[in-house]
Amino acid sequence: MAVDRLRKLSAWVIVLLFFSVIAAPVQASAASSGKAGAARFERALGGGAVPEILKQYGGEYVLPLGQRLWVEEVFRRLVGAAERQDVEYTLTVLNSAELNAFALPGGYVFITRGLVNAIGRDEAKLAAVLGHEIAHIEEKHGMNAVLRQMGLTVLLEVGMLAVDFASADLLRLAGTTLLELISRGWGREAEFEADLVGQTLAVRAGFDGSGAVSLLDGVLNLDSEDLPMKVFRTHPDTQERRERLEANLASFWPPPAAVDDPQVLERLNGGRILAQAGRNDPRGRYIVSLQENGAGLHIFDLQLGESALWLEGASVRDFAWSPQGQYLAVTLDEVSGDAVWICDRWGHVKRQIDLGRRRASQLSWSPEGKQLALLISDSGSQGILVTYAEADALVPMAADLGVEYSTWLEDGLFIFTGDAWYCISPPPVVPVTVQNPVPQVLQRQRILSPTVIKEGSTIRLTRPSLTMP
Amino acid sequence: MFPGKYQAVHAAALTVVLLALAASGVQAFIFSDPGSLYTAAIPDSWIYQAYHSTDQLAVFYGEGDWDLLYFEGLGKVADQSVRELAERSLALYGEPGGLSGFQLETPLLPVEVGGLQGLACAYTYQDERGNLLWEYRIFLLLPDGEGFSIALGSNGPWVKNNPPVLEEVLKKWQWTD
Repeated sequence: MAVDRLRKLSAWVIVLLFFSVIAAPVQASAASSGKAGAARFERALGGGAVPEILKQYGGEYVLPLGQRLWVEEVFRRLVGAAERQDVEYTLTVLNSAELNAFALPGGYVFITRGLVNAIGRDEAKLAAVLGHEIAHIEEKHGMNAVLRQMGLTVLLEVGMLAVDFASADLLRLAGTTLLELISRGWGREAEFEADLVGQTLAVRAGFDGSGAVSLLDGVLNLDSEDLPMKVFRTHPDTQERRERLEANLASFWPPPAAVDDPQVLERLNGGRILAQAGRNDPRGRYIVSLQENGAGLHIFDLQLGESALWLEGASVRDFAWSPQGQYLAVTLDEVSGDAVWICDRWGHVKRQIDLGRRRASQLSWSPEGKQLALLISDSGSQGILVTYAEADALVPMAADLGVEYSTWLEDGLFIFTGDAWYCISPPPVVPVTVQNPVPQVLQRQRILSPTVIKEGSTIRLTRPSLTMP
Repeated sequence: MFPGKYQAVHAAALTVVLLALAASGVQAFIFSDPGSLYTAAIPDSWIYQAYHSTDQLAVFYGEGDWDLLYFEGLGKVADQSVRELAERSLALYGEPGGLSGFQLETPLLPVEVGGLQGLACAYTYQDERGNLLWEYRIFLLLPDGEGFSIALGSNGPWVKNNPPVLEEVLKKWQWTD
């Protein structure tokens, strides 16, 4: 108790000391306060720290033309979906191999070239990173952290202080505080909030919200010893963040809507029993069939004219090719319960989903082959579980409807409850196309040596490749 | 004697055929793009590169190790004129992050492609190994506001002097209605 009282007392002393420093300018020009003044202050505060950031991270880096236009287009879409109108967002790529990104008050977003290159051309992951940073600015995390550090938040909240945001003294003091805070981050709760707000922003801008989950999975898989990722040192527990982001994915799927269009209903009722759906390799190379004893999958490779056994020893119950033939999903009876595996098109297991006591049936791929719906039976009730081909995430839905059957068509995921059809439209994902593009400049490699690509048991020689400067 | 006489007649006939072929111009095949936007005559010695081509991009390799011909549909652009498109593109090529050592070798000059007025220029730049590359590029703005480009690249300045390959391509270029 004594310690607590002492802490409270010392906090008030600091606040009062600080108040005495800035009280004079605050009271003298209270007229210049207000939202516009606060926005200008925020911009000036962040802008004041930009030179220091550039100095610390090797200055600005200019990405190659094609990559630059792509990154700028992702950023443009995210900014277009942002809510704050009083912020001018700018993106700077820093010349550092470190994997890092951060935001300063006033709309300054930074990402290192190391992180841009590590992300490659995965627009969902880039949108997750930039969305997270924009969210910090949307939610004023930096600004609030600085004010909190300076002890002003309480006074502002209770109306005891009308801050003169035009005060040079205040700006200088806040700037110093900001530089101290940047390396520590904006706080645990701010990071959690930026994750969810950023993910929502990305989905609103037409990106796949599962990119944030994949991004953090990549972080979790990194060897902790070669972590050049200062960004993650300032962030709270990655596993917890990942779980929150995965749970948040369900919020982007609208509730099931009853289907009453006669044409759609006719189509659905006419094609309900689709036992052969997904059984044929869309690329026509493999004939896949279940083994009689359920151990693995029997494959006949039409290209090689040979038979093979995939997933040897696994009790495969069912399988379905994705519409483009990129993936093969299988359900299995495991000792510990049911499981779903997603394999590449050569039978290599990419993901294993352990369902425990729940039983999975009716594998149904989305038309783009990015998502897989499973009918899940659990203690007498049946619901849908949607998972992603490229992200280790599960989204439960329609658990209370008593689902009997589900199928994925162009308009969305359709579920049948025994007496009615419902449709769930997934959040739209819009591919990035560069606005106002310029012609590419291609180069031909002088040495005509083929590239050797190994795809499962097949070796493919390509023609000499072009490079894009 | 008879077989020798027969051979001489045969050789003479073959010469006439070859001369006739030569007089008719470069042997070419008609390329129809997958996007149904144009057809063009491509000299036989230029090989279509299916692996590098898409619906918007058609790539051909010539006989020389550096010879490259490609057509690209850009989709909608915001430029109001072909000059705007060309100047914006060249400015981006010359900026940091664009082409290393970029240098404009000829000014933008008018050119006609299938009845459509475009602008063309030649420029040089260096690849990652420091090789000096030349490129002759035609910029076009289609009536529906889509950008289009024809480029001929190699390692020598011959690309800018209206080479036979480009003459052949442009002579028989047709836009699909």
